[in-house]
Amino acid sequence: MTPLRTLLAKDLRRAWRNPVPWLVSIAVPLLITALIGVAFSPRTGGSGFGKIAFALVDEDDSRLTRMIREALRGDEAGKYLDAQILDRGEAVRRVRNNELAAVVIIPKGFTKDYLRGGKPVALELVKNPAQAIHPAIVEEGLGLLVSALNAIARTLGGDLAEWGAILDGTERFDFQAAGRLLERTGDHLAPAKVYLSPPLVSYREETRANTSRPGPAWSLFAFLLIGMGAMFFLYMADNAMRDLYRELRFHTLERFQTLHEGLLVLLVGKVAFAMAVVVIGAVILFGGGSLVFRFAWRQPLALAVLVLAYALFASGFMGLLAALAGTERRADILNNVIIMVVSLAGGCMFPPQQLPAFMRDHLTPLLPTAWFAGAARAVQDDPASLAWVGAAGRLAGLGVIVLLLATALFRRRLQRGARA
Amino acid sequence: MALLRADDLSKRFGDIHAVDRVSFEVSGGEIYGLLGPNGAGKTTTISLVCGLLKPDSGNVVVSGSNFWSDPQAARRIMGVVPQELAIYEELSGRENLEFWGRIAGLSLRDARSRAGELLEALSLVDRGSDAVKKYSGGMRRRVNLGCALMHRPRLLLLDEPTVGIDPHARANILNFIRELVADGAAVLYTTHYLEEAETLCHRIGIIDHGRLLAEGTLADLQERLGEAQLFVIEGVLAGAEPDTWAGFAEKFRVIQKTDRQLTVAALGQRDPAQCLKELLALPVRVENVTLKRPSLNDTFLQLTGRELRE
Repeated sequence: MTPLRTLLAKDLRRAWRNPVPWLVSIAVPLLITALIGVAFSPRTGGSGFGKIAFALVDEDDSRLTRMIREALRGDEAGKYLDAQILDRGEAVRRVRNNELAAVVIIPKGFTKDYLRGGKPVALELVKNPAQAIHPAIVEEGLGLLVSALNAIARTLGGDLAEWGAILDGTERFDFQAAGRLLERTGDHLAPAKVYLSPPLVSYREETRANTSRPGPAWSLFAFLLIGMGAMFFLYMADNAMRDLYRELRFHTLERFQTLHEGLLVLLVGKVAFAMAVVVIGAVILFGGGSLVFRFAWRQPLALAVLVLAYALFASGFMGLLAALAGTERRADILNNVIIMVVSLAGGCMFPPQQLPAFMRDHLTPLLPTAWFAGAARAVQDDPASLAWVGAAGRLAGLGVIVLLLATALFRRRLQRGARA
Repeated sequence: MALLRADDLSKRFGDIHAVDRVSFEVSGGEIYGLLGPNGAGKTTTISLVCGLLKPDSGNVVVSGSNFWSDPQAARRIMGVVPQELAIYEELSGRENLEFWGRIAGLSLRDARSRAGELLEALSLVDRGSDAVKKYSGGMRRRVNLGCALMHRPRLLLLDEPTVGIDPHARANILNFIRELVADGAAVLYTTHYLEEAETLCHRIGIIDHGRLLAEGTLADLQERLGEAQLFVIEGVLAGAEPDTWAGFAEKFRVIQKTDRQLTVAALGQRDPAQCLKELLALPVRVENVTLKRPSLNDTFLQLTGRELRE
């Protein structure tokens, strides 16, 4: 045990003296978590994607379109939409200046043509090509509106013309005519009653009282930190295991061989070092993250077991990749690419549900990054969950296998005189 | 009994004979120098002796036992100083010494105490706690040497330990090695510096292209030329053919010839003044003639046909 302890102490001391690579591996996930969390977490006052700024150009200026304009300025719509009523020229200018996501134009005569049903009508949409998500949301919303207008036109048929006459009337609003029309419209809508009252699909809004624990149990930050951790623990393990190549480059491995029989203790020492830095990194990342972002880990013990098992896997896996690469430079490139792929496909960067179906159903379940992130998130969602037991077992088992392979391969390479 | 004996060591890398049937012995209190140009096979020989490489044939005997019959026992006797610095730059000199002492099997207490002794002996006490990356080249070399001495080895293998450092630092290291040898250590020392071999080593083996061409004391090697005096003739020598000069071959032997310089050894015990007279009478335009004692370089020149510095 003495040489192993000596080797581990030496490597930890070296890491302490040159902390930049390790600090980067901890600071970057914290930073990414902070950025994403602040942007999207309702707790921080973020509004998800933010309000969608778009312009409505009402060239029709009918009673109906005036009602739409008022509705867009209402409190409910105002939570999500920043609708600006502008003329066409100004609206287009603002799109060009990237101040608006899109412009919806209601052309002159739209209401009249729609209600009379004489000819097809069209709404105009100008999307801002410099933005990706908001213009798409406006387009989708407009698609829904068009579907609704078509459904109304098909249901009400000829009544629409009379509605048009009432709405477009320049004289005072004819309440009696409107009443008669409403009655007829009610008759038309009667067959749809089973769908509309009560609605076939409905939702209920409920606001639960704060259960007032030290911090809310579920947190977007916790969700993100787990994913970031799964990815950056691999980077840490990679950096630690690639130190074997640095030992070659600095000839310290050669000196070691002149003093000590065999390479096994050196390799095991490096694995112990990799595991140690991952565990220390996890304590800082998860512990510090919990303090900084004010949430509590609901099952710290389960998380600790998962981290230990993942550290074992990460050390073995990155060691195996480094050994397969054969040189430090190749390992640098290969390992970076593979870490990105297994992290992306393992759902570390965003929820696995967002992944393409094939990847989500066939690849993600096979990835240890997904085992770790999935189990840690499950435990955070539901402290009674035992998903971590199986995941930790799988990670540790796979870790031992890849470690043995990595050790054998590295040993063979070093005995054959591998070069950094 | 010799502390180290290399018997007919050979090592090939593909078609290249890196070491070809090399044999030598080093005893306690002796510095054996392996002198040769870069690529001569010096480092490979050290690697074979310390077990970093296994020889294709031949034996390494350390303190009477075959190295490979008990490598760990042999390693306990040896201290190896690799040609390149093999220390951790993030650690201090003291931490490096203690770490390598622990790896060599010292207890923590012994490692600390020995590190203190070596820092003192290597004149590094004041800077012992600084990170090695802040050291000068000479200080790094001293730490590199010290790391091999932590377990008090009786046999030291030094692979060009003074490469790339200033003359003052080199003199410090050479003095330290002399002190170790005075205490009874055996040293195998590789170098391509003639001066080091001449002033430091008790015996010298000249190696080139993996073969040990000659060995002995400095005097032994100089006597190989057979004469006590060499003449260096400077002049216009392009196209000159000494073999065709009447009576020349009976009195002189050509050691080296270039377009501007001809080095010859006088055969037999002859009067230098008479030799000078004969050389000035040669059928070439002579501008200068110098008389000198044979050096190790001349021996090397005679053995290999080229200068060590080429």
